[in-house]
Amino acid sequence: MAETALTSRSPLDGYERTIGTVAIAEIADLALVSAAVPQSGDAAFAAALADGLGAERPATGASTVGDRHAARILGMQPDQVFILFEPPDPDRAADTVKAALGPAAYVTDQSDSWAMLRIAGAGLRAALERICPLDLDDEAYPAGRVARTAMEHLAVIVLRDGADSFLLMSPRSSARSFLHAVELSVKNLSE
Amino acid sequence: MSGPFRLDGGAIDRARSLAFRFDGRRLTGHPGDTLASALLANGTRLVGRSFKYHRPRGVFASGSEEPNALVELRSGAWREPNTRATVAELFDGLEARSQNYLGSLRCDLMAVNDLLAPFLAAGFYYKTFMWPKSFWERVYEPAIREAAGLGRLSGEADPDSYDKGFLHCDLLVVGAGPAGLAAALAAGRSGARVILADEDFVMGGRLNAETHEVDGRPGAAWAAEAVREMASMKRVRPMLRTTVFGAYDHGIYGALERRTDHLAAAGGKPRQILWRIYTRRAILCAGATERPIAFAGNDRPGIMLAGAMRAYANRFAVGAGRRVGLFVNNDDGWRTAADLAAKGVSVAAVIDVRDRAPQFEVPGARIAMGGRVTATRGRHGLKGVTLATGERIALDCLAVSGGWSPNVHLTCHHGGKPVWRERIAAFVPGGDLPLGMAVAGAAGGSLTTAAALAEGHRSAVEALGELGIPHSAGDPPGASDEAGDIAPFWHVRESKGRAWLDLQNDVTVKDVQQSHREGFRSVEHLKRYTTLGMATDQGRTANVLGLAMMAELTGRGIAETGTTVFRPPYAPVPIGAFAGRSRGSDFRPTRLTPSHDWAERRGAVFVETGMWLRAQWFPLPGETSWRQSVDREVSQTRSSVGICDVTTLGKIDIQGRDAQEFVNRIYANGFARLAVGKVRYGLMLREDGFAYDDGTTARLGENHFVMTTTTANAVLVFRNMEFARQCLWPGLDVHLISATEQWAQFAVAGPNSRRLLEKIVDPEHDISDAAFPFMACGEIGVCGGTPARLFRISFSGELAYEIAVPARYGEALMEALMAAGEEFDAVAYGTEALGVMRIEKGHAAGNELNGHSTARMLGLGRMVSKTKDCIGNVLSERPEMNRENGLEMMGFKPVDPGRELAAGAHFLARGEAAEAANDQGWMTSVAYSPMLRSSIGLGFIRNGKARIGETVRAWDAVRGTDCPVEIVSPHFYDPDGERLRG
Repeated sequence: MAETALTSRSPLDGYERTIGTVAIAEIADLALVSAAVPQSGDAAFAAALADGLGAERPATGASTVGDRHAARILGMQPDQVFILFEPPDPDRAADTVKAALGPAAYVTDQSDSWAMLRIAGAGLRAALERICPLDLDDEAYPAGRVARTAMEHLAVIVLRDGADSFLLMSPRSSARSFLHAVELSVKNLSE
Repeated sequence: MSGPFRLDGGAIDRARSLAFRFDGRRLTGHPGDTLASALLANGTRLVGRSFKYHRPRGVFASGSEEPNALVELRSGAWREPNTRATVAELFDGLEARSQNYLGSLRCDLMAVNDLLAPFLAAGFYYKTFMWPKSFWERVYEPAIREAAGLGRLSGEADPDSYDKGFLHCDLLVVGAGPAGLAAALAAGRSGARVILADEDFVMGGRLNAETHEVDGRPGAAWAAEAVREMASMKRVRPMLRTTVFGAYDHGIYGALERRTDHLAAAGGKPRQILWRIYTRRAILCAGATERPIAFAGNDRPGIMLAGAMRAYANRFAVGAGRRVGLFVNNDDGWRTAADLAAKGVSVAAVIDVRDRAPQFEVPGARIAMGGRVTATRGRHGLKGVTLATGERIALDCLAVSGGWSPNVHLTCHHGGKPVWRERIAAFVPGGDLPLGMAVAGAAGGSLTTAAALAEGHRSAVEALGELGIPHSAGDPPGASDEAGDIAPFWHVRESKGRAWLDLQNDVTVKDVQQSHREGFRSVEHLKRYTTLGMATDQGRTANVLGLAMMAELTGRGIAETGTTVFRPPYAPVPIGAFAGRSRGSDFRPTRLTPSHDWAERRGAVFVETGMWLRAQWFPLPGETSWRQSVDREVSQTRSSVGICDVTTLGKIDIQGRDAQEFVNRIYANGFARLAVGKVRYGLMLREDGFAYDDGTTARLGENHFVMTTTTANAVLVFRNMEFARQCLWPGLDVHLISATEQWAQFAVAGPNSRRLLEKIVDPEHDISDAAFPFMACGEIGVCGGTPARLFRISFSGELAYEIAVPARYGEALMEALMAAGEEFDAVAYGTEALGVMRIEKGHAAGNELNGHSTARMLGLGRMVSKTKDCIGNVLSERPEMNRENGLEMMGFKPVDPGRELAAGAHFLARGEAAEAANDQGWMTSVAYSPMLRSSIGLGFIRNGKARIGETVRAWDAVRGTDCPVEIVSPHFYDPDGERLRG
């Protein structure tokens, strides 16, 4: 029996920095769990989302907000959503979702798979123009929109979670390279 | 006033002076000047030497089409050769040097080439420097490159940074002359998202260079007002200093924005940005380029395009000379006489090839209608011209206009072919434009201001209509049409001596004639043979002249002769801009394992495997070679316990009612009866039946499997499985998601591995041999409740486990394992020790799974189940892949244990010649085995199993070795596998 419990470490060690008008901060306290819809299970899935998390099922590319665990449901692909939420027990994030959705979804914890950065502030879109191929214009990419893309060869999930705020998720192992890419873009644009 | 040739007016800021140096001389100019305009204002006419003949050259044009005035800017590592002085914006402290001479610019020793010109015609090198053959690379080519060429590279790494970016718009307007401004205004006023890009540092295009009026105001003033209006439009993005250089698929355009080239220093910001612009529609308003007329000696400093001379006078307030002449074939050229006279510059002569009445009287000027210039004089600058009549006229400057060529380049980037329009004697865009592109103004052959404004406006309104954006553009701006009559005229036949077509490449009329005599009939061949139209200006002033000459020689006409193909980029783009940030250590992203920092603290040596950095070995103080470290890691693991971060292996979470069926179809071997709580080794085939990946798959639940793949194929396997799921078997209920990043996974191997793990696994989980036998798996807790997964699998051949925790706990688990292992003398091992142990065990890895190996070759032939279907099953039965005497993976030991084996060596029978016919196979992997105290190897050899004990040669031509080796079982160490069941 080990004497001490394991300590956790976030991918970017709680990075937080403001460069010019743009604030970049690692988000490490949210859980991310994928929920895949069984074949012919759409109705049951929608019902489970409503019952378990108080949320509507989003279309692919859109997101909805639930009334439990401050959950945001991200429509990732036709048969899959990601659920971003405040976990009661971070070590058992998948169990929380399983309890909420029951057999209506196949659930996999993705919390440790993605490093999350919130980038916020005026001028952030000019910075993201340097690495993000997506059109982040207000009309093309309103708040709540979510999409997968690639930045500097890295997979990224882009969620616009406010007028001047984006949540960017990129694989954990390359998180430092990703942070470097984001930071450099902001620096290149700052006065 | 900065310089003796400065005139009144212009768009320069006379309140401020900018000091700069040219060839060490201190000169001054003003904001708003280019280097070219500032040099001309200072009376500097000689600015460089030509490419081949080292002829003195001066500024010829006023824009990016400049063929002559190529200079080196800046110094040290920042030195940039071949910069066109006509687009280099002047700044305080600019350092520029002329280039391509030996000695001094005025006294260039290489000018001897000019005397040798008769020997240096097109094709000369190919025919002359042929003997001896070996001399071409070693003697001739270096000498020629030294003599002919342009600027010099600094030879140092580029100290500037570059960036890339992505832009999106409804409408891209390329060029901000009258057509572009009218288009952008119309679209902007209607609320469309517009990008207006122009390569200049002021918008307005020719409106700034001419004296035309728009809406009753001077054109330049109207342009400035339009720019101000657009600045207030949120959805319009004007981009100065931005060259749209290519039209790509799906409405995507490439553009280069020069951010800091006009500043003394970049200030740590990217110098240039390469933009990828996603457009719904684009309007090409790239204008037109004036072309010269060929006549003997038409390359002297002081001979300049007529429109350029107007630009220098009107925009930059510079008179290119004091006694100016004109040689034209069209009405437009006459404007130069009017504009210069209005600025007080003496116009001494107007020579028009057309035999008709003068367009207007020019006081004090000799008007020669139907005239021809047949010769020029002046060594470092023009002193005078001679007409066909023998008349000599003293001039210090000659403005030449042979008409205007629309800048059709971007219309051709998808294969479109320009068509000849006789009325303006020029090529205009053909009908097959890139999808979504329209052309307006001079780029489309409409050479008057009124037409440009109207077409720009109309094109924008049409584009908005196609996009369903209601337009509120108002009326187009108005202007009057200028006179534009032209008589096609290319070459003064009466002139003797060399007449230049392409100034940058020193291609003359005679070169084209020579090419014709040699039998080259296609324009593409003409280009390659003479170099017409190559290099930085891509022949923008030269091409049509060359084609016309060729058409004359072949008698085919210009329309039929056609043009060479225009490809991106339209203007030079530095390689640095294409590279962007992807330089040095930022060339690609780096993936780090959860124990990376821990390993770094331990002094690990890392190796790149794909994007991953993995610990290769962990040297201890006193170890002087990597072999010592690796031998220790292997020995200690085999004698006690070792720990290795194996997070990089691909992990795929598979769930669904049909997950088991799915896995069973993916793997070649059977997975139908894998029980919950068990792991199985699996082999995957490609569709063509060859082996491509292997790994283990654990069944965590009735409908839940976790697969591991090799590190290298993690993405490929996932992609192939998604394809199978979505396209091959859409009826199966199965879902895949990558879990590679989610779990930190460590191999714990060696006879003490269980005892070590028992110290950290929570006590409620029994991992005794009875409760958790070989190939068991389960979800457990470690270190007081941290969720974990445990797999009893072994790559090393020892009693071994792989233990996984959520990645955030990875580093802590590594520390906990090492701490718990202290009493067992646990060792951390890297990829080298991992490799040694797998070779000792005869496990195939990347070197063996090279895409050419069958299951049978790997000794796994019986794994391919014939009682079920799986990917690759059918094609794996092809006879050639199942030959009795085919290649088989075997082990190899040097007959002399002191010798080292080499991977890549080929096997030959003793006494047989080293030639392909005698090849029996090759060595795939080698290692020094500390257990066997010998170099050992794996390899493929014909009919291997039947030949155990036989000695063959491992022959290696690369390293020059020839080593007798004995064929042995690939299972060098613990062949019966007793240790892993321990």
